[in-house]
Amino acid sequence: MNSFIDYTVNGLVIGNVYALLAVGLALIFGVANLINFAHGSVYTIGAYVGWAAITFLHTPLAVTILIVALACGALGAAIERVALRPLQGRARIAPLLATIGLSFVLDQLVQLIASPNPRALPVDLPDWRISIGGGSVGPMDILIAGVGLSSAALLYGFLRFTKLGYAVRATAQDRDAARQMGVNVDGVNSAVFAIASALGGVSGLLVGMYYNHIDPAMSFQATLKGVVAVVIGGVGNVPGAIVGSLLLGLTESYGIALFGTTYRNLFAFALLILFLVVLPNGLFGGRRAVEAEPMTGTFIAPSRALRVPPSVVAALAVGAFALPFALPAPYMLQVLTNSWLAGLLALSLTLVAGAAGQMSFGHAGLLAIGGYASALLATDYGVTPLVSVPVAGVVTSLLGTALVFPAFRLRGHYIAIATLAIGEIVSLVILNWESFTHGAMGVTGIPPLSALSYAVTSARAVYWLTLAALVAFALLQARLSSSHIGRTLRALRDDEIAARSHGVNVTRYKALAFGFAGFGAGVSGAISAHLFSYLNNQTFDSQLSLLAVTMAILGGMGNILGAVVGAVALVGLPEAFRFAAEYRILIYGVVLLALVRFRPQGLLGTV
Amino acid sequence: MSGSWISSRRAFVAGLLAAVAAPSVSAKAAGGEQILLGVSGPLTGPNAQYGAQWKKGFDLALDEINGKGGVKGRPLQYQFEDSQADPRQTVAIAQKFVSDPKIVVELGDFSSTASMAASSIYQRAGLVQFGFTNSHPNFTKGGDYIWSSSVSQADETPRLAKYTTELGFKKLAVLYLNTDWGRTSQTLFSNAAKSFGAEVVAAEGYQPDEKDFRSTLVRVRDANPDVIVLISYYADGALIARQIRSVGLKTPIVANGSVYSPKFIELAGDAANGVYTETNFFPGEPRPEVQNFVTKFRARYNEDPDTFNAVAYDTIVLMAQVFDQFGTDRTAIRDGLAKIKDVPSVIFGKATFDPETRRVAGARAVYLVVKDGKFAPWDGVKPTVN
Repeated sequence: MNSFIDYTVNGLVIGNVYALLAVGLALIFGVANLINFAHGSVYTIGAYVGWAAITFLHTPLAVTILIVALACGALGAAIERVALRPLQGRARIAPLLATIGLSFVLDQLVQLIASPNPRALPVDLPDWRISIGGGSVGPMDILIAGVGLSSAALLYGFLRFTKLGYAVRATAQDRDAARQMGVNVDGVNSAVFAIASALGGVSGLLVGMYYNHIDPAMSFQATLKGVVAVVIGGVGNVPGAIVGSLLLGLTESYGIALFGTTYRNLFAFALLILFLVVLPNGLFGGRRAVEAEPMTGTFIAPSRALRVPPSVVAALAVGAFALPFALPAPYMLQVLTNSWLAGLLALSLTLVAGAAGQMSFGHAGLLAIGGYASALLATDYGVTPLVSVPVAGVVTSLLGTALVFPAFRLRGHYIAIATLAIGEIVSLVILNWESFTHGAMGVTGIPPLSALSYAVTSARAVYWLTLAALVAFALLQARLSSSHIGRTLRALRDDEIAARSHGVNVTRYKALAFGFAGFGAGVSGAISAHLFSYLNNQTFDSQLSLLAVTMAILGGMGNILGAVVGAVALVGLPEAFRFAAEYRILIYGVVLLALVRFRPQGLLGTV
Repeated sequence: MSGSWISSRRAFVAGLLAAVAAPSVSAKAAGGEQILLGVSGPLTGPNAQYGAQWKKGFDLALDEINGKGGVKGRPLQYQFEDSQADPRQTVAIAQKFVSDPKIVVELGDFSSTASMAASSIYQRAGLVQFGFTNSHPNFTKGGDYIWSSSVSQADETPRLAKYTTELGFKKLAVLYLNTDWGRTSQTLFSNAAKSFGAEVVAAEGYQPDEKDFRSTLVRVRDANPDVIVLISYYADGALIARQIRSVGLKTPIVANGSVYSPKFIELAGDAANGVYTETNFFPGEPRPEVQNFVTKFRARYNEDPDTFNAVAYDTIVLMAQVFDQFGTDRTAIRDGLAKIKDVPSVIFGKATFDPETRRVAGARAVYLVVKDGKFAPWDGVKPTVN
């Protein structure tokens, strides 16, 4: 019983930390209808600004908080002005992708300037503690709770009772109407980003002080937990964000109590999926929390696809097959092999996102399922890779579709969040299901690819094999897209309601798209597993999922040749720019930002 | 920062103009044709700090060796390729290295995920992959070209268990990083601790990006241990130590050698005091190998070295000796590693490989305890165990 109180207190304490983040995210969502993936980066920058102020200027706590709030407020306004305002009127996913690009850029800048090594962020608060049950609460806990609650209360009052608050709410409800009534909509947006970012920066500072630890990699987890809390509370609802955070903290804490520490994040993401399925508007969201969009959350910029004559494509393919004779360097072949494997992933994503309208942010999870299926079959059950690779494709197809199935009825940003969470869940299940997947130890000694008695190990053989797989899938997918199935998928993407009223069984077609896409991604993962000979739960991580999204957009959503071009550009080209190693992620971020802004239809155009 | 960092920056600008890849190379001394070592390691991404630590160790050793005229008049140089510790990139780097005849040996990568993905390429091509931070028990099983000077966990963790039981602790709660490294260490530690008559009353794995341990500590407290054992790196170890104290637990802490870093004390603050640890590398140790390294490191970087600096330094010193005695042919290097004896080493004292396991046994062990915010040799005083 005593311990139960402790777990509850601890859950509330960590929930309190999440709340600081969630309030800012909820505010931005409420007004701009946007999940700000750069919020975690602002949080990190806030922590580092605070560190600099304390270290170089020796500022007391109150002044540090003020400096951080001002700096991050200005940063927030700048983000809104430079990266997001130009995207007004675009597909809703465009600003979301822009914030992902921004987060790459900002995190990498922090790392370049401040070095990746963690730093201490000491705080000069009195050293007393209030004991509750078997544990205790210190001044920092109370400060964090105070800042969280009072900022939520202030925001609530501001939104309810002030003129600018009216303007903010009017903008949130109907941007065009608000503008007609003389509301300076851009100014409102700017103010909201400034306020939310100031709060985000201060939370980074406080959390950094709480743990006496700041590092440039802290932003991704922070955003993830904040987003989960916001969805639970009901997007766009500031008090809801606080309740959602506390509920998330409690769930994690009780999860640890019941099953142990390794299950913590599994509980967090399972709670998220549960909410998305049962109560997608969250605890406090109104029924119209998220606008229904005709384009269900995809990034389809209407455009005419660049027509590449089939003869040119065929010539390119033949050229690719002949390349090893002209250019035998194994290094180049390996780089291109990586590109072909990434191409399979991009093809898979461009099918579900571009053709069927289901943007997936957890696609690396499919690679992981395929890789593990083939690796475990080959090592633990002695199946030859000739059989295990296609079987892995089938397993991924079935399991992947089943996992995404609950997300089929979701729309807009929710699909993105759900797939992100599903990707994380796959990785966490692999980590925890030790008896089957070998857990953290990973799978070692995966045999190389072989056909009958011929081992496919030379760089050249692997190159041809992966290229052949890629070409085969591309042809199949082209056939699918030009058939009645492809037409139906596009109809469903462009207007799900219209498609449904024409008698299209939406769920079945989405399942078909995911099934096909899962097979391709699964085969890609399986081949990778045999190439690497070692796999663990981190081989296919969430960074790879985001890279896949960038590849598909770069090529042009739904565009088959485009997906391959995107993969070669993002996996092959960085190898050519190795000398710029320290700037590579920065370059990805800038590419993504520039694409979203200037060429949303991608290089080859959407289909 | 080291010269190589600056040169890579210059290359960045030059490269933008010329679009020609120019890898970052370092050290210019001695005449003769250079001997090139390929390094695959993280310079960006979540493990970037470790790549930066390696560079400092490498550069120090290179200066020392090249300052004395290199190996038989030939200067040593390394080519550092950033892998972000990502397996997709290490396989490409592996193909690059094996097909470049100038590369005589490969060093790295950092994590097991990244290194073991590339092992089969090195093995097939017959280029030694020398992992000096790879503790995965299967790493060197990749073939006879796969070698490691990483202190084997089978060697290290039983010693930590011995120290823990020598301190008089009987009921142990283990918190471990849930990676292949932490998992292996935890199993080995628990088995060894049992053989010394102690009992493991709780074992909790945590994720590398975990920051909050309060609820975990309730589980630990309820198991009623008389010590908390941390199988952690310094950053997460410091977080846990702080939280143990801030939730009001008085339980003593023993941590394994990888927390040994000035950063551990910086990040843990007062909570570091009283933490027992055991390390292969302690700057205060009077051995000449250690003192030579520490003095030079302080003079060059104006800071105390940590274990990652030390293993990187050791690796270059070892390679220079192998080149000197056995030449720079790729196969000769493999054979040389099996034959070379008693190479002076910061970590091992004298390093000799076991040709069967392709690892080095017998790392030095120094028992430490944190006193007044500093690592100090253990004074032999046992804590009172309730």
